[in-house]
Amino acid sequence: MAIEQSTQSSNLVDVLETVLDKGVVIAGDIRVGIADVELLSIKIRLIVASVDKAKEIGMDWWETDPYLNSKAANKEQDKKLKEENDELQKRIEELEKKAGQDNRLV
Amino acid sequence: MAELKYLYGIIPTDELKQTPLPSFKGLDDQHEWYPIAFDGIEAIVCDLEESDYNESALKEKTSDVEWVHEKAFHHHEAVMKLHESYTVIPMKFATIYTSKANLEETLTKHYQEMDGLLSWLKGKEEWNLKIYCDNDSLRERTAAHNFTIEAKKKELEHMSPGRKYLEKRKLDRLIDQELEKDKEQHSSAIHDQLATYSVKTDIKKNWNKDVTGRTDEMCWNSVYLLENQQVEEFLGKVKQLQEEWKEAGFTLELTGPWPAYHFSKLK
Repeated sequence: MAIEQSTQSSNLVDVLETVLDKGVVIAGDIRVGIADVELLSIKIRLIVASVDKAKEIGMDWWETDPYLNSKAANKEQDKKLKEENDELQKRIEELEKKAGQDNRLV
Repeated sequence: MAELKYLYGIIPTDELKQTPLPSFKGLDDQHEWYPIAFDGIEAIVCDLEESDYNESALKEKTSDVEWVHEKAFHHHEAVMKLHESYTVIPMKFATIYTSKANLEETLTKHYQEMDGLLSWLKGKEEWNLKIYCDNDSLRERTAAHNFTIEAKKKELEHMSPGRKYLEKRKLDRLIDQELEKDKEQHSSAIHDQLATYSVKTDIKKNWNKDVTGRTDEMCWNSVYLLENQQVEEFLGKVKQLQEEWKEAGFTLELTGPWPAYHFSKLK
């Protein structure tokens, strides 16, 4: 389904806000203090910030794992298209170069 | 050593009988998850060492954003895996019981409700819509097409320069107000159209730019619970709306399918 065009970080926000904020808690015995909305928003901001940092050092497995991210499938396709595009670009350049040389010979 | 039970979700026993639980490592990367049967429903749990995951240990862990990030995604992955094969009541991140007996006590208490919820959720999935708008282009549009603003502009033409300056600033504020109204109105009109395909909807809080990391502003955030057979039509409608609103500066972003996180409330 190629419908969503979300940026990666917004997808990350989707997962975090949903998992941290929603779902059922049937009175778990151990309370984890990230439920409060204000705190949650701060936490998500921190995580998004740290993710940007992680991306800088190439740690972005969660974005390319198709399981976690339906976007990744599209990205995969985008990557293929890009490779194809690069390949074609290269061939055009070579052809142009060749054509240029041919002209010079004439 | 004492073992805690980390609960991922509840699924129906008959569905588990048809499709055995796939193998999956639990939150601590060691203990495999497993079902605890309870009168026609199954609690999917993993064991955690008490010493590593007691309340004070968790307090420390959850203050580490990287830990929360990794484990929140682990939780999401687990619930998605359940959602792929079964009807699931998804638990919130870090729903933990100190013992099997405590978990069973809670299941007993909520049994009727959970059983009903599972039958209701069967064959349904959740989709999330976020609408973003490009304030600048929308502002221009609002300024150009709004009758109230148009009338004010006409008045301005005949004013003295000093007065004009003041009135112009007032007008800018008015445009901002109208812009907010426009955004709300358009978004809610989009929502109403999508709601007709849904069993249930919910409107959520918008996130600010710091959280989304985007340059355009989130002006709508909502979730839809859909019957499986409605999904295709719904997606078609979203696509149409995406096209329709693009020029006006609205970006519609849909994600899903999600387990029914927003529609699994117990009283």
